[in-house]
Amino acid sequence: MPDRWFEREPLWFKRAVFYEIHIRGFFDGNADGSGDFRGLIEKLDYLQWLGIDCVWLLPMYSSPLRDGGYDISDFLSIHPDYGTVADFTEFVEQAHQRGIRVIADLVMNHTSSEHPWFQESRANRDGPKGDWYVWSDTDEPYRDARVIFVDTEPSNWSFDPVRGQYYWHRFFHHQPDLNYENPEVQEAMLDVLRFWLDLGIDGFRLDAVPYLYEGDGTNCENLPPTHAYLKRVRAEIDAHYPDRVLLAEANQWPEDVVAYLGDAESGAECHMAFHFPLMPRMFMAVRREDATPIYEILERTPGIPGNAQWGLFLRNHDELTLEMVTDDERDYMYGEYAKDPRMRLNLGIRRRLAPLLDNGRDEIELMHAILFSLPGSPVLYYGDEIGMGDNVYLGDRDGVRTPMQWTGDRNAGFSHADWAQLYLQPLMDPVYGYQAVNVEAQLRTPTSLLRWVARFISLRKEHAVFGLGSYEPLRSDNPRVFAHIRRLEDDVILCVHNVARSAQAVQLDLSVCTGMVPEEMFGRTSFPAVGELPYLLTLAPRGFFWFQLRRPGS
Amino acid sequence: MSFDERILIEQVMRQRWYGAKSRGVAHAQVLDSVVVRADETPLALALVEMRYETGAHDLYQLLYALRDDEVLIDDDVALARELVRTLRAGKTLHGAEGIVEFHRVAGFAGLRREPVDVRWVGTEQSNTSVVFDEEVILKVFRRLEPGVNPELEMLRFLTDHEFASSPPLDGWYEYSGERLVATLGILQTFVRGGLDGWELALDEIVAAPDQFLARLHRLGEVTGQMHSVLASDSNDPAFSVETPSVETLGLLTATVDEEIERVFLELPDGNEALAPIAGRGEEVREQLRMLTHGGPTGKVIRTHGDYHLGQTMWAAGDWVILDFEGEPLRTFAERRRKRSPLRDVAGMLRSFAYAATAASFLRGTEAPDGWEQHARTQFLDGYLGAVDGGLLPPGTAAVDRLLAVFELEKAVYELRYELDNRPDWIGIPVAGILRLIEQSQAAG
Repeated sequence: MPDRWFEREPLWFKRAVFYEIHIRGFFDGNADGSGDFRGLIEKLDYLQWLGIDCVWLLPMYSSPLRDGGYDISDFLSIHPDYGTVADFTEFVEQAHQRGIRVIADLVMNHTSSEHPWFQESRANRDGPKGDWYVWSDTDEPYRDARVIFVDTEPSNWSFDPVRGQYYWHRFFHHQPDLNYENPEVQEAMLDVLRFWLDLGIDGFRLDAVPYLYEGDGTNCENLPPTHAYLKRVRAEIDAHYPDRVLLAEANQWPEDVVAYLGDAESGAECHMAFHFPLMPRMFMAVRREDATPIYEILERTPGIPGNAQWGLFLRNHDELTLEMVTDDERDYMYGEYAKDPRMRLNLGIRRRLAPLLDNGRDEIELMHAILFSLPGSPVLYYGDEIGMGDNVYLGDRDGVRTPMQWTGDRNAGFSHADWAQLYLQPLMDPVYGYQAVNVEAQLRTPTSLLRWVARFISLRKEHAVFGLGSYEPLRSDNPRVFAHIRRLEDDVILCVHNVARSAQAVQLDLSVCTGMVPEEMFGRTSFPAVGELPYLLTLAPRGFFWFQLRRPGS
Repeated sequence: MSFDERILIEQVMRQRWYGAKSRGVAHAQVLDSVVVRADETPLALALVEMRYETGAHDLYQLLYALRDDEVLIDDDVALARELVRTLRAGKTLHGAEGIVEFHRVAGFAGLRREPVDVRWVGTEQSNTSVVFDEEVILKVFRRLEPGVNPELEMLRFLTDHEFASSPPLDGWYEYSGERLVATLGILQTFVRGGLDGWELALDEIVAAPDQFLARLHRLGEVTGQMHSVLASDSNDPAFSVETPSVETLGLLTATVDEEIERVFLELPDGNEALAPIAGRGEEVREQLRMLTHGGPTGKVIRTHGDYHLGQTMWAAGDWVILDFEGEPLRTFAERRRKRSPLRDVAGMLRSFAYAATAASFLRGTEAPDGWEQHARTQFLDGYLGAVDGGLLPPGTAAVDRLLAVFELEKAVYELRYELDNRPDWIGIPVAGILRLIEQSQAAG
């Protein structure tokens, strides 16, 4: 039976707008300096107003927090800073009552080295957990696997003096990889999933899924047994937990990522996967004033099953990842967006949306417009809807995880604790600081970014075509314009975006729509009907138009 | 029982409560059906899904009887009687994909015998009602939404907390299935010989204006008592009084402001009734900004949600309050949101504006000069004397300010409604909006 407050709708995620929340940074409900579930409950009215369909929570589990909670030391408990399992279930219930679903990060690939499983495994190689991690007498196997955290980790193997063996870790050395060859590990992880699903969670964002299995002579990514295990997880969901979703984080090329969505022959896998390579190309297009990179990456994106969906985003809690670009493109992105080396991390740029776009309002709106127009479900990152900034002087990715700026009052309205007690201090600089950028002020200002984003979300949600419709690129002779058509039965939407700093004219071949009348979707103004000749449009710098194409008289 | 589903679907589209008459239906199907009585003329209820070309869909509850292979819809007396019988017996009926559970509240003593007189009464936007022996009334929800219908939730609470001015809840029935859990209908004690508050207003505004003003003072008191009861249980999380979060006023401002902008964007050209406010959207928004510029907002509680004279009755010398469903066009999530009780008060004040004009529209007689203002004063005086003052922002100025915001919200909602449904009535919200603009100019 579906949750009491939802109608069963297996494809809900295809039309949803997601919102990513760092629990620690959202709102402090108990005045201890750190955000928590009680605080999240207090801000649900805000999220409901904003029009969010689904909240994605960063890791909430017990953890020594050496990697922002992605180092889990107990899968079945909530980190005490955030509250209790009871607080979590209360949050889910309260969110559901407001029509908002909740998914949470889950790391299947590895645990914290402090997890009792690892402690047992290293202490007793012949014990019941002896084979739960990937151990080796040498650091020789799997030489073809790349090192991901190149800034900090010299190798994927680390020596454990307790057990006297090397253990395998694709990320930090304090995050040993679980050994999925062991059927007990496979079962244990399914138990973890069931535990949270039984508490009402609507799904998981599966962290680092390509790395579950290793294989000699391979790069240890996207291996067949990894896919086989994910299919098993999906079968479990389909059988017992309707309307829940699995969202894969597989930072890979689209042709490799689609495998995580499964297909008709081999069976379903995840419901959604992030489209990683799209996002750097959007930034590239705006900076180079050339829409070609966007057209090209979408051309290169294979079709996906009808019951699957891409997750699209501009920014998230990690660095703006440049793994899925060429070396030249990466150099270009660094040169344009991260001139200060402090802004770089691993293969990416650790900055928020607004600073990446020099706080340009037109640019921020244009990027949202392109994102919202594309086939997929948009995922917003907390704070970006008000144009929050970052702090590049903070270590690792903390610079983009500062407290949500609610008001211009003390602690940005984020917490009643002492300033010094806060997990991180809110931004105070004159441009992005909480006195200048906060929810309260933007709610009251009709022209604010926040009000614009809310209006834009509501516009997108009025038209199922954005989540469900086809995508038909419209190339023109003006490479500075990105144009395409979305179509779902009789709902036809024409989206035209000018990525240039200067005004542009474009002639679009709309011969398939001859006789139809474009109506601009924000102001409901009718434009001249489409005739036999190419359709001429002029666009302001970084401007865009969305039109609904109507048959005359309808 | 087997028959052509298409007949049922055609029937749905013919019903008055079917809300999407202008939309193209792409698909329709019966999701589940439950036999209420199986004999030579079977009685049943069905959940019908209508899917539109835009990709959206609605679910409807349909009641029907099969007689001589003919499908009879809805107004079948035998069917209504059978529903109440099933409810009194507390039965559970099984469909293909779910169950329908009938619940009788403890202590329900009505209808000890077979009901004799059964009559279908009004059809509203989202429901239809049947009265049995002038003793109980069954409200059948037509357009279904997942979750607990706010009316069931509110009546259960008010009955449990012995609020005397609403007839008690006697029972309900609900569906639990693969597709959704939904409240299908409620049974409530019927108010005998009651006079509809709206009709009474129209009659007395001219015939006995002072008497009606006295009645409105009493209505204010009853309204205040209603809010005090709704705020009386801190152990029930759905009803406990809450201090609104800091951005509550901001969220309200943003919501109303967007609504103003949209309505003014879509105002048709050349409509004389709109002339006084045409092109003045920015002034309205400016007024809203002035009204919401900080200040206390009081507490938030569960409210009636769609409060106006038409939701009241005068019976046995006092007011009765009905229809706790909330605004039918809003989602359950919106209707269940806790809000300032002043939002209900503002709804009633707007209703007085409607009554004053409608007296001339519908009865052909003008309300006495200043009647609306007197009505407001009487009602507010009764209300403020009866309500738990801790629920309101401190000070008259703060109360007036918040009331003005909610009245503006309501007037804008009315304007949209009248534009879509009753163009002759546009003058009422237009006058309301004009008054709010001019108040600010007088004050400034």
